[in-house]
Amino acid sequence: MTKGLKLTDILVTIVIAIAFGIVYILWGSVYYALKPIGLHADQFMYGMWFIAANVAFFIIRKPGVALLAEIAAASGEFLLGSPWGLTVLLYGVVQGLFAELVFMAFKYKRFHISVAILSAIAACLGSVLMDFAYGEIGDLVAWNLTLFMIARFLGSILFAGVCAYYLVKVLEATGVTNLVRPASSKDYAELDQK
Amino acid sequence: MQLDFSSKETWLHRINPSLKLFVLIMLCIIVLLVHNLLFMMNFTVIVLILFLCFTGQPTKRILLLFIPFFVVFLSTSSSLIFFGQGNTTWFKWGLIHITEESFFRGLLVGFRALLFAILGLTFALTTRPVYLFYSLMQQVKLNPKYAYSFMAALRLIPIMLEEFQTIQNAMRVRGVVRQTGIRSVFLKMKAYSIPMLSGSIRRAHRIAVAMEAKRFSDTRNRTYYYEIGFSKYDIVFILYFVTLLLAGYYGAIKGV
Amino acid sequence: MERIAHVEKLRLKFPGDTSLLFKDLSSTFYKGEKVLLLGPSGCGKSTLLQVLSGLIPHSIEVPMKAEELVSPTSWGYVFQDPDSQFCMPFVDEEIAFVLENINVPKQQMIDRIHHHLQQVGLHLPDIHTSIQTLSGGMKQRLAIASILALKPDVLFLDEPTAMLDPKGTKEIWNVLKEVGQEKTVIIVEHKIDHVLEFIERIILFNEAGQIIADGPKEKILSTYKNEMREQGIWFPGVWEEYLDTTPLLRSRKPFEKKEKVLEVQNFKGFRQKEEKILVDDLQAYSGEWIVIKGENGAGKSTLLHAFMQFIKTTGHCELVGIAIKKVKKQTDFMTFVFQNPEFQFVANSVYEEIAYSLKVDKVDSREIEIKVEELLEWFQLVDHWDKHPYQLSMGQKRRLSVAASIVKEQKLILLDEPTFGQDSKNTFALLEWIEELRLKGTTIIMITHDEQIINNFATRIWTIEAGKVISDEIQSMNMKTELVSV
Repeated sequence: MTKGLKLTDILVTIVIAIAFGIVYILWGSVYYALKPIGLHADQFMYGMWFIAANVAFFIIRKPGVALLAEIAAASGEFLLGSPWGLTVLLYGVVQGLFAELVFMAFKYKRFHISVAILSAIAACLGSVLMDFAYGEIGDLVAWNLTLFMIARFLGSILFAGVCAYYLVKVLEATGVTNLVRPASSKDYAELDQK
Repeated sequence: MQLDFSSKETWLHRINPSLKLFVLIMLCIIVLLVHNLLFMMNFTVIVLILFLCFTGQPTKRILLLFIPFFVVFLSTSSSLIFFGQGNTTWFKWGLIHITEESFFRGLLVGFRALLFAILGLTFALTTRPVYLFYSLMQQVKLNPKYAYSFMAALRLIPIMLEEFQTIQNAMRVRGVVRQTGIRSVFLKMKAYSIPMLSGSIRRAHRIAVAMEAKRFSDTRNRTYYYEIGFSKYDIVFILYFVTLLLAGYYGAIKGV
Repeated sequence: MERIAHVEKLRLKFPGDTSLLFKDLSSTFYKGEKVLLLGPSGCGKSTLLQVLSGLIPHSIEVPMKAEELVSPTSWGYVFQDPDSQFCMPFVDEEIAFVLENINVPKQQMIDRIHHHLQQVGLHLPDIHTSIQTLSGGMKQRLAIASILALKPDVLFLDEPTAMLDPKGTKEIWNVLKEVGQEKTVIIVEHKIDHVLEFIERIILFNEAGQIIADGPKEKILSTYKNEMREQGIWFPGVWEEYLDTTPLLRSRKPFEKKEKVLEVQNFKGFRQKEEKILVDDLQAYSGEWIVIKGENGAGKSTLLHAFMQFIKTTGHCELVGIAIKKVKKQTDFMTFVFQNPEFQFVANSVYEEIAYSLKVDKVDSREIEIKVEELLEWFQLVDHWDKHPYQLSMGQKRRLSVAASIVKEQKLILLDEPTFGQDSKNTFALLEWIEELRLKGTTIIMITHDEQIINNFATRIWTIEAGKVISDEIQSMNMKTELVSV
């Protein structure tokens, strides 16, 4: 599926992801400071971890980019020696895969904010599944688990969905996205003017 | 990634990086399947020995790196201990409800997170990313496009950190820091991420072009500056885990 | 003569642009030629270089077509930014990367690496040296060494010294002249004094991406001087011409001590707890233009950062008579213009960018409007007021960054190499604006390597060597310097 990616696409995706990897490490310290409080205030912040996939995909708009971005962000964190490194690496693969599936469902042709929100929810779902396997959150009492879910999904929609979408919108205004997006047939047609 | 973690080379450094990564991932899967607290503790000790004795780091730094482990342990186990399900109540205060079951569950999950952390850090401290990617290209046949992209991106990390610092200063001069309120959180996010991202994208694009200008191509048929193979250390590494884990499992069943 | 590169009726358009960059452009290059492509920024010289090498469209997708396009088979390309042309962390690994690409056996690699480093005069005690520890000039040498590993017949040089100081620039051109002797060399460059003796032929572009002249260098230089001046090209003698024709500089009032704006004593700046800069005793008065000079890495930027309190400092430092750490809003009194303008942009339009600091301070909106319009006018940005700052040209970005920084009329302005990489037109305009600010009583402290700026604009010179300010000279108006204290 990722065969169509050019070196430029891959390198840009990975660099974006690693830039977010740095943010993740900083974000991680906020997150884990909130965590021992226990009432899942931290879960609201969790959505930030899915932002790389969406930002990279909405910039480059090609198949495979979302998955690659999540893996790259996680490997960045891993290789930098984050104590959560291996965990995030496993999570990253699953989250990226879930986000990628949403983009695939839209045939990589829809770039509306609703797609961003859907993929954020999908990535979040992926992380929840991993949590059941790894953290055994299923053993939390019902009210606590509900609180946990609401906080995480809302946070994902806000950070990974809405924020990612508008971040790319602003980036488009700077003109930098033209560098990495494929040129349209309209652009080629205009070569024949006059 | 050894940004400034210079260290002595130990036998852990000499293990084939792909093999090391593979063994680590296998260990992680095993960890996920373990539900016996005693075995989990034995497991932790086995991995801890490698981390403490063979990463080649000075003792002081080892101790310093140890601090986040406690945070990992506490933060992972606490919510399960305090809010987990269970029948045998030990303590109850408002929302907090500690039961025997939740306590041991919490400990188990805490140890699991701890193990992941030690394994990950041990790998990061003893593996040069460049060797890892060369090995992945040679042993796992990773497409060079991906391997070199990763290496190029890792090189950019210190540059990006420096840029981040500069942007921080610039935002102070411009008065971004002085803005307050909920909206300012998002404004600040934008103020930091736009120059970071647009700068990184352009730089990544330029590097990719420069790499192709140096005749980099997709073919897997290339020579390698570092030829990475296998050695006796790889066998030692595998035997270490096989024997000790079996011993640990046996001990756990016998109640040691 | 053997044709080595050729385009016939080239058409090219960047996605999103309204007009074509090239419309039916044709040009031919012959074996062994040394050609310089000249023209204003944005005229497409670099793009043409990329088309000739085949990077466009193989690596960079840009819509283009040509009736005929001949690219050389063996070529190397040197880019301008030393930090974005390497993919490996160490010197030996970077050259090895190139050797791997062309399938050189591992056994020969070490020798080849040594050989190519030798060729560019990069003598390192250990070839396994981190690229990050090299200076800009050394990085560009490495870039040249790594393309020599390709054994190219044609060299494409895309402003290889744009990011270097005068010393580095000279060294790089010496290397290039030596290794390029036997090759075909096609060059894009703004600062042409070192290039001229090396090349034979000049192709001159206009703003519309058309070739307006193509011929032997002597003929082009003498016939098209006006065009080159208009385009802001740094041709030899441009400074002298500027100085002769600018009355502003001849009527400069001598400097007189008035209000003390900045005073430091036994002042130290630290990075990661390490002392990086030391000042015994310095003062800056209103209406002064102070230039900080010194070698790369001597600590010039660090000194400005210490004044701005970006880094930890100790010792005595007074801003407008108050201890700096007690000044509540330091940015009301001093401002800083960063070397890379993009880092300091925060808004989505040129207008908002200038208004930003005033809006944060909740200044009356009518007042903001008047002030912003005045600055737009002054810095010739009126036509671009609604553009995104990132979409401006390099010169416009620089102007905007200065305008946005000085909007609060601070008494002290610190600038980190503001004319760096700018064309001559922009440089002169910028210097004149700064001079006007100075005449209004603003204190200017500026880092520059440019001897002409130091000689013709500075009223005082601070020299830094190895993390210490070693001299403080007042420059009298008849261009001779006298020593005040050491």
